[in-house]
Amino acid sequence: MSAIEISNLNFVYSKKTPNEKQALKNINLSVEEGAFLGLVGATGSGKSTLIQHLNGLIKPQDKKRMSVVVNGMSATDRKNLKKLRFEVGMVFQYPEYQLFEDTVAKDVAFGPKNMKLDKEEIDRRVRRALEVVGLDYDKFASRSPFDLSGGEKRRVAIAGVIAMQPKILVLDEPVAGLDPIGRREILALVKKLQKEVSPTVIIVSHNMDDMAQLADRIVALKDGEIIADGTPKQVFCNRNLIKEAGLDLPTATSLADMLIARGVELPRDIVTMEELAKELGASLRKKRSQAVADDNDETKIGEDADGGFYAESYDEDVEVEGVEVNGVEVNGVEDPDGEDEDV
Amino acid sequence: MSEFQIEIKGASYSYPVREGYNVKAVRNLSLSIRKGEFVALTGMNGSGKSTLAKLLNGLFQPNEGEILIDGISTADEDNTFEIRKKVGMVFQNPDNQTVATIIEDDIAFGPENIGVEREEIIKRVDEALEAVGMSEYRTRTASKLSGGQKQRIAIAGVLAMKPDILILDESTAMLDPNGRKEIMDVACRLNRSGITVVNITHNMDEAALADRIVVLRKGRVAIDGTPKEVFASGLIEACGLTLPPITELARELEKEGFEFDGVVINAEELAEGLCRLLK
Repeated sequence: MSAIEISNLNFVYSKKTPNEKQALKNINLSVEEGAFLGLVGATGSGKSTLIQHLNGLIKPQDKKRMSVVVNGMSATDRKNLKKLRFEVGMVFQYPEYQLFEDTVAKDVAFGPKNMKLDKEEIDRRVRRALEVVGLDYDKFASRSPFDLSGGEKRRVAIAGVIAMQPKILVLDEPVAGLDPIGRREILALVKKLQKEVSPTVIIVSHNMDDMAQLADRIVALKDGEIIADGTPKQVFCNRNLIKEAGLDLPTATSLADMLIARGVELPRDIVTMEELAKELGASLRKKRSQAVADDNDETKIGEDADGGFYAESYDEDVEVEGVEVNGVEVNGVEDPDGEDEDV
Repeated sequence: MSEFQIEIKGASYSYPVREGYNVKAVRNLSLSIRKGEFVALTGMNGSGKSTLAKLLNGLFQPNEGEILIDGISTADEDNTFEIRKKVGMVFQNPDNQTVATIIEDDIAFGPENIGVEREEIIKRVDEALEAVGMSEYRTRTASKLSGGQKQRIAIAGVLAMKPDILILDESTAMLDPNGRKEIMDVACRLNRSGITVVNITHNMDEAALADRIVVLRKGRVAIDGTPKEVFASGLIEACGLTLPPITELARELEKEGFEFDGVVINAEELAEGLCRLLK
């Protein structure tokens, strides 16, 4: 089933003024339920305008010719608007700037309250949302959101959105401005949210490495038009197109290109660091086993003197990387004052 | 006169959060920076980076300790003017650092305020725009620019004050990759022309471009050295940071049996090391 169906969508800002600008051109896009879609494009390519159509913040300018249908509801129909806002959870850039209540619990409850849920249900959702984003209810519920660290504030803001249990979660640059551990935690959280709360996720990002790793589909915009739509491999390996769109290649892809240019044999479709490490490891093993085989026909692959480059050992490392998300536990050093405020 | 341009001697700074509850953002911190250095100041959210920046140009006064810029203490109010002129700051948000509609007026704002002659102001505006590669935008409006261009205008506004030290307080954090590149290019160019640059960032690729990285943790200096020394220290994760993606990849590859000469911090080096082993 399609979660989102967009057809013939055009959008012009400041129509009939000298500043007229066509932000979207003939967008046709269908997003399946369960997709993890990465929306990429240079600044000004129309990403934000497009996502604001998904919950009716911007309405199609021509109801007859254009349509935006979300979960079977037309976004042009006023009576669907409220439901649309609840079903499409929008996490804008720097969402922590939108926190406004005096306690964390009240802030997270704002959305569910607007849904006219009963008090118990609201309370249940607030607890659940805080738990999902990794904030302990008893510790955080009564604190002021403004006393929290940057990463914690962002979690509270995300909790406020998912407390409405949206079926579609849209995040605009969710890790902008966070430190490296914060980035890692929020990205792991988005994956978790897809599994536990919102089956369809659309994420807007300038970080091609993150997109290559997380998304199963990439849509690239340029000057308001969709210029590529496919798997991360299909889109990112189209080097000319990525360049034309004003985007960077994923680090792994550009590094692989550097190596290929220097005569190293590698596949041309590498987009993640994991793939690159795996390929390079395999090349090294092959080269070494050949060297060993030349010396001594008896030696088996993987038993080289240095040891430790069995295929399995690599997979284990990746697993460990994947769960190593909590910076506080990683660094494990106690703060002498027990304070960890943002400054 | 000291051999150091910036001297921070045992500085501490606390914020009152609510009654009877202070947060120590900077704790007994000492750090010296020479004229012409390019320093990346990094650390996780809440480590004290931005507080330290505000201490450097006298926006904040340390509760304890002393901060000297070219031997002048920031504590003496008579020096505030002099210090602000020497230490220029560019902040994070490109949208709230412009004061005038037209770009040249915006850049002239600083020198006008300190009573610089008209002829001299015109000259400074020219030079500042030239330095950030924005000369052709002189008579345009700032609101129509990209984030990277806005930040370049903010830098030009600071340059018109003829500073000796440029502090970029997460000035690239809100920019896209192209904007980031523009700002780092300008910063490197200014540094080559003799300006001391302190770039506050938690982008590790960006930190790796500096001559020296200072890592803060809980308001103190945790690591201080060249990028290679800092990334080889094994302490980066303990400070709540991560290695640059390339360094991280090199480490993964070491587990696969690859060996490199020391710590790898850029793609060129990594490619070279790999070719040696694979060809």
